[in-house]
Amino acid sequence: MEQFIQPINLIAPSLWVPLLPLLGFFLLTFFGKQLKSAGPWIASLLVLGSFLLSVYLFVNLGNKQSLDYDVFTWMHWGEVSLNFGFLIDPLSLIMLLVITGIGFLIHLYSIGYMHHDEGFVRFFSYLNLFIFFMLLLVMGNSYLIMFIGWEGVGLCSYLLIGFWYTNDAYNDAAKKAFIMNRIGDLGFLLGMFFMLFYLGGLDFATVLSNAAEFEKGAPLLVVITLLLFVGAMGKSAQLPLYTWLPDAMAGPTPVSALIHAATMVTAGIYMIVRSNILFSLAPFTLEVVMWVGVATSLFAAIIGIKQNDIKKVLAYSTVSQLGLMFAALGLGAYTSGMFHVVTHAFFKALLFLGAGSVIHAMGGEQDMRRMGGLWKYIKVTAITFLIATLAISGIFPFAGFFSKDEILAAAFHHKIVWVLLSVSSMITAFYMFRLFFLTFFTSFRGTEEEKHHLHESPWTMTLPLAILSLFAIGAGFLGMPAVMHMPHWFNGFLAPVVETSKSILGEAHHVDHNTEIMLMLLATALAVTSIVIAYVFYVSRKTVPEPDTETKGLAKWVAKKFYIDELYNAVFVKPMMVLSDVFHVVIDKLVIDLFVNASAWMVGFTGRTLRLVQTGNTGFYLFIMVFAMMVLLLIQLVQ
Amino acid sequence: MLAEILNLRKLIVPIVVLGLAVIFGLNLLDWNLNKSFFNDMLRVDNFSVAFGGLAIFATLLVLIMSGDYYQKEQGYISDFTAILIFILVGGLMMLSFANLTMLFLGVETLSIALYIMAGSRRFDIRSNEAGFKYFLMGSFASAFLLFGMALIFGTSGSFNIYAIAEYTANAQGNISPLFYTGMVLVIFAMLFKVSAAPFHFWAPDVYEGAPALITAYMSTLVKVVGFAALYKLLTVVFFYTSVKTGLILNIVAIATLLVGNLMALAQDNFKRLLAYSGISHAGYLMLLMMASQEQPTGALLFYGLGYVLSTLAAFAVAIPVFEAAGSEKIDAFNGLGKKQPLLAASLSMAMLGLAGIPPFVGFLGKYYIFTESLHAGFFYTTLIAIISSIIGVYYYFKVIVAMYGKPGNDQKVTFSFTYALVLALTLALSLYLGIRPGAILNIF
Repeated sequence: MEQFIQPINLIAPSLWVPLLPLLGFFLLTFFGKQLKSAGPWIASLLVLGSFLLSVYLFVNLGNKQSLDYDVFTWMHWGEVSLNFGFLIDPLSLIMLLVITGIGFLIHLYSIGYMHHDEGFVRFFSYLNLFIFFMLLLVMGNSYLIMFIGWEGVGLCSYLLIGFWYTNDAYNDAAKKAFIMNRIGDLGFLLGMFFMLFYLGGLDFATVLSNAAEFEKGAPLLVVITLLLFVGAMGKSAQLPLYTWLPDAMAGPTPVSALIHAATMVTAGIYMIVRSNILFSLAPFTLEVVMWVGVATSLFAAIIGIKQNDIKKVLAYSTVSQLGLMFAALGLGAYTSGMFHVVTHAFFKALLFLGAGSVIHAMGGEQDMRRMGGLWKYIKVTAITFLIATLAISGIFPFAGFFSKDEILAAAFHHKIVWVLLSVSSMITAFYMFRLFFLTFFTSFRGTEEEKHHLHESPWTMTLPLAILSLFAIGAGFLGMPAVMHMPHWFNGFLAPVVETSKSILGEAHHVDHNTEIMLMLLATALAVTSIVIAYVFYVSRKTVPEPDTETKGLAKWVAKKFYIDELYNAVFVKPMMVLSDVFHVVIDKLVIDLFVNASAWMVGFTGRTLRLVQTGNTGFYLFIMVFAMMVLLLIQLVQ
Repeated sequence: MLAEILNLRKLIVPIVVLGLAVIFGLNLLDWNLNKSFFNDMLRVDNFSVAFGGLAIFATLLVLIMSGDYYQKEQGYISDFTAILIFILVGGLMMLSFANLTMLFLGVETLSIALYIMAGSRRFDIRSNEAGFKYFLMGSFASAFLLFGMALIFGTSGSFNIYAIAEYTANAQGNISPLFYTGMVLVIFAMLFKVSAAPFHFWAPDVYEGAPALITAYMSTLVKVVGFAALYKLLTVVFFYTSVKTGLILNIVAIATLLVGNLMALAQDNFKRLLAYSGISHAGYLMLLMMASQEQPTGALLFYGLGYVLSTLAAFAVAIPVFEAAGSEKIDAFNGLGKKQPLLAASLSMAMLGLAGIPPFVGFLGKYYIFTESLHAGFFYTTLIAIISSIIGVYYYFKVIVAMYGKPGNDQKVTFSFTYALVLALTLALSLYLGIRPGAILNIF
């Protein structure tokens, strides 16, 4: 690794970036009642503070310098020492800006969205804790710190999905997310053990430089990267561990926007980009990553077509987009994957917040079949939602166009992948506009009471929408396609991070300019076609999806999400339950309880018997003491 | 006592606290000094500075609490403070001795002051009993100590610890059995002071009878200082001969572990419980004595500090609870979890610390002890220690269960500022060291 100059004066500001939200968490937890309604504002302002510090770091560090320092030595034994330290390089800077920037906007939004809720303050303390752990995840200079953040965000995700804990279904969703993530975490943990054992440590500098000495395709690296990828699959909801994410929509909508769309679920991608050298040295894993990504992208997009819950559609679209990012990573286009992470963070947060605004207006209704014609009632929401929908569909010049185009261009040399990803984007455009038309066009299908209730949200909610929509339009210009003869700022900025990988993978397959233009036109044409089809279906013909009971055939399979949940239930959960019963009755009750009770009784009995020796009689004590001394002395002298 | 004459009782505690704090600082300045004083009677080295610092720190904490503890009996406070300082002086002598006579002097200064302390509740028959019992048994131990020293002097010709070590190094294999007898007797006397089985009988009775604050002091400072002195004996004076004591130390360690943990199970008096818990901790520390050839000084200091922090935290909660309930049984804690959740949570943290549950300091302390003794090759003894620590969890949790699981009365416990200060300080340090052990573990 290249040795950067350490700008010492930036260490203090960088420490405060995660400390501010942590401070917020403690303030709200312990003094929430005293702070009253000021609490959420304080929480939001602290995140804003983190954001400003991140900007300061960004301006001062650029991509020529980076910070890598240990705060303290945690523990060390033998030759291995584990340090608690931070690394701020271009990659973490990008993530810092996204997390704190979008995090602040969502905090602000939540002030409006959650103010009726009795858990108002608790909600903000969780959000702050989440931001803290997420920052730890991206700032850590070792896999260990990353893992602490990784588990921490998992915990916050669990707490926030089950935020309305009086509802059992929500609690189940929270548990599901937790358990699914555990499976992934096991992979991550095993990967870490391997690294600790074979690569001499857990900090990035050591691991990556030691890994670089292996030859390409070394079995050890393949094993480690596959294990890490299992971790990423859990956190970033990839096949087959994706089913928790749609259920996670049980949490309040700002949570879905922040955790389950913009930040936490992209942790898996961050992890792979962070360890890009490892992955580049394991071509087999890259292949696996690519195919899992492609399959997830297509699969989730298909399910998205038949969902009627506004948040579920967005959830599947998130899974699908994450698949797209993994496909990019699998193709070795790390920076393109990260670029999509950033643009996606903007437009998907915007979509969720917009959906939240719609749900707010509808008084809690989430079924699109009961909406319609909302355009004229909630204009700001509708317009910003349209911008986000165009962005995710990949229409020029919105943000999604640039990042998606880049991934498709990278996939072009691999024809099957390219075709599948194009189809997936086409489907995306279709179901997103299906969502848009069903919600905002034609006429209102809800009850009179609901119609009366329709209103635009307060400014704390619409302002974040407006700001995010600016980014959903503009963020794409950070990465201009080569054909436009403009600098690709984003790739340039991240270049130091992926430098080594570039030399390992060799020169990327460049498509020439004519092909690239052709590809762009084709992608746009496909998206527009989808939009037109959606328009014809849901606006001209005013089709409304039928009630669940009337869905038949293939459509029913799709609507039921291919029965994957039921399949998991039958294959894993049920047998586990049976097994657990068997263990409970046979092993636990019969064997273990017997053994444990018997040994507990033994211990207790000895204790009670020994107690009789403690008579309180000093003469007796002295006798035993001197007697014991004599015996021991004898032993000593005889041996 | 001068203050007593001048009728300045109220000022005693603050002044002495201040003085101790200054001494604590001065003591730390002596780091890396390595100098001997009084004709090589005392020697200041990093070992004595570190453990001396710990002793002063523990005294400081106990003293901070004493102001409120003796609020109703103002007359005692000056005596108490003076005797406390005597104990500390004795303890410091036991840490920095360079001559066996200084060790004896230290042990006696500490012990005699402790006999008075234990019996200081003049009108309480239990306190009287405790003081007298402790005195009787302690004088036996002192006799052994003196006799052992005489034998050592007789064979090696010197009281100076370095001279004795040199004698054993030069006379390899040609040492008189009388020397070994003397060595073992000296070790026995120290084992009595740290209440290792089978020399532990005094501890539960004395701990129960003595005033609670003094019990707190006895179970922390005396134990840690005793172990440090024993460790110094084993690693400096008997460095070349302590291998021979392996077997009896092993027997004592196992007996201590079993007696401490098994007896604690059957206790319903909190002070007695802590007495047996103290014995079991002595058992864990015995593992370090067995492994003394490996020089695990850092682990000893770390464990000692952890034990002091957790025990003082436990007493800082227990003393006001006892006063409110008028009883020293575990039942006194019933329902505390509902009444005063913060207090109950603090005591739970202290108990978890003693039981050795992460992230508190006790966990890593045990972990280092077990690794050290495995390194030294004591597999079975370590196994027994691990099993005993599992048993230990049960009785520590008994207190937690009482606080949260059992109904109690509504009587509020008055919790004064000084107790809160000690509690906050000990728990914060315990947590900090549990997460960042390096600060203490690696200072040697």
